Amino acid sequence: MSTTARPKQQPPAETRETAPTKQPLASRLFGASALSFPTWAYVVFFFIIPLALVIFYSFGYKPDEFTAIATDKLSFDRYPEAMSASFVSTFFATLRISILGTILCLLIALPFSYWLAVKVSPARRSLALALVMVPFWTNFLVRTLGWQIMLSPDGFLSNWMQSIGMLDGPLDILYTRTAVQIGVVYNYLPLMILPLFVAIDASGKRLREASYDLGAGKVKTFMRVTLPMAMPGVVSGCLLVFIPLNGDYVTATVLGGASGSMVGQLIANQFNTAQNWAVGAAMAMILIISTLVVVGVGFALLKLGQTITARLNSVPLQDGRA
Amino acid sequence: MPKKNTFARRTPTDIGLHIWGILVFVYLFVPIAVIIAYSFNNGKVLANFRGFGLHAYISGINNDIIISSIVTSLQAAVGTAIVSTIFGTLGGVALARAPRGAWWALGLTAVLGLTLVTPEIVDGISFLPWFVTVGVDWGITPLNNGLVRLIISHAMFSMAIVTFIVRARLAGIDTQLEDAAADLGATPWNRFKDITLPIAAPGILAGALMSFTVSLDNTILSSFVQQPGYTPWPVYIFSAVRVALRPEVAAMSTVMFVLTLAALGFVGFVLRKAGGNATEIIKTMAA
Repeated sequence: MSTTARPKQQPPAETRETAPTKQPLASRLFGASALSFPTWAYVVFFFIIPLALVIFYSFGYKPDEFTAIATDKLSFDRYPEAMSASFVSTFFATLRISILGTILCLLIALPFSYWLAVKVSPARRSLALALVMVPFWTNFLVRTLGWQIMLSPDGFLSNWMQSIGMLDGPLDILYTRTAVQIGVVYNYLPLMILPLFVAIDASGKRLREASYDLGAGKVKTFMRVTLPMAMPGVVSGCLLVFIPLNGDYVTATVLGGASGSMVGQLIANQFNTAQNWAVGAAMAMILIISTLVVVGVGFALLKLGQTITARLNSVPLQDGRA
Repeated sequence: MPKKNTFARRTPTDIGLHIWGILVFVYLFVPIAVIIAYSFNNGKVLANFRGFGLHAYISGINNDIIISSIVTSLQAAVGTAIVSTIFGTLGGVALARAPRGAWWALGLTAVLGLTLVTPEIVDGISFLPWFVTVGVDWGITPLNNGLVRLIISHAMFSMAIVTFIVRARLAGIDTQLEDAAADLGATPWNRFKDITLPIAAPGILAGALMSFTVSLDNTILSSFVQQPGYTPWPVYIFSAVRVALRPEVAAMSTVMFVLTLAALGFVGFVLRKAGGNATEIIKTMAA
């Protein structure tokens, strides 16, 4: 006891002596908190305040034809006004496209990223990864135009499919929901592939080998080792795809035409054409809240799934004790 | 190193995966190939192929509106890369070196996270009135410049990406090197310049590249903040979509595509010379 008590009395003196070097580096490197000041100032001035303003506007109203916004009387009235029948139907159509698009991206990207991380030889992997990035470096709108050309009824694909007898009439996809779906999956696919690749790559060969050595088959290894390890990638991939996709309307305008109206377009119309900022802001709030709700529900489902699989997978070691 | 082990045996699953991989690559590249092919369309309408030739390139280069929108886009992208890299690097270093549980670090992480999950359209509509308030009503005139508006809004969008990349890059490295430099009498600035920055460099570069492309790609946000005379290239294309698309759009996009690839190839080459690894950079970007 006494031997442990003695050194305890000494450190204060020692600390005082070496104080300059023992200080957390943070406070010596200009002070990390001071270093964060410019970034803070930027996000406050160009993100928080403008966003707060939009929230505030959503409680305002449009006083007359020539004024976009007035906020002298505040109310929740713009919210029911924003949720007109056409908005609600567009809203659910958008949600359907986004959720389906996210799921399709995941289904396409999961085997692909697995292949890239596990089956492609390391020598070729850099090149393959760079190739995945290439569409990312071309303008997103231009890539969408590529699809517009391809899917058009008098385009080469349509002609070719008719000439080999796959189609009776011209290709009838452009300006439909299907075209929008193809386009969004295409545009957001790299955002799903990369985090998945990183996660699967990080899960490492050794764990998989250990799994094989312990007698697990390929399927079992994939389900019990690779997939759980890839989960963070799945989560970030889904977020990276779903969130921007839900607010996107460019792809839908190019490929969906009149039938490709998305919520983002309706919000933009309120600001650009109708000049009714209050209703537009209310719509934007509905979009943000619903996006967060879907993300929250997604997380809840994920947790539920994990709990269930953990139950199913738990190995009874002895007499049913998990 | 033994060439391959159990993983190399070609099972039907492997073959299936290989086919899937190749199909996904085809899917990713076909639209780009189509655009490149149609850039040689001599017709008047993009989607109608009427003879092979370079008409679109020639008339594209001679079209002042197109050229000025491309120049605007490139200027905005360079500006965005610079602004978001400076602010993002400072933020990333601060976050990586923050004492555990510091309120300003948690808060900054949360707010930057929020910028990432905010739909672009919402950023667009929030910038529009704000720029008018600050620039016109308060008389801070630089904010009335179209290019400044584009750069500020794009940088806001990509600042979080740079910050998180730089933070991730520095998180794995302990502070001993910086401590040692401090013990040896380096000033805070020298320490930052000679130790912290070189360590963070791959992350900073990755972040700068990301912000550059994000800015070059940005359509929705730009269409809200753009000012007359400063229409960026994607916004030009987007307005052309609603009227009539001419092959010039494809031609100029092909030019930009080739230039981007050349620039990236150059960056990759420099990195390899500097001992960096392209895979690492891409991973840093994606993580």
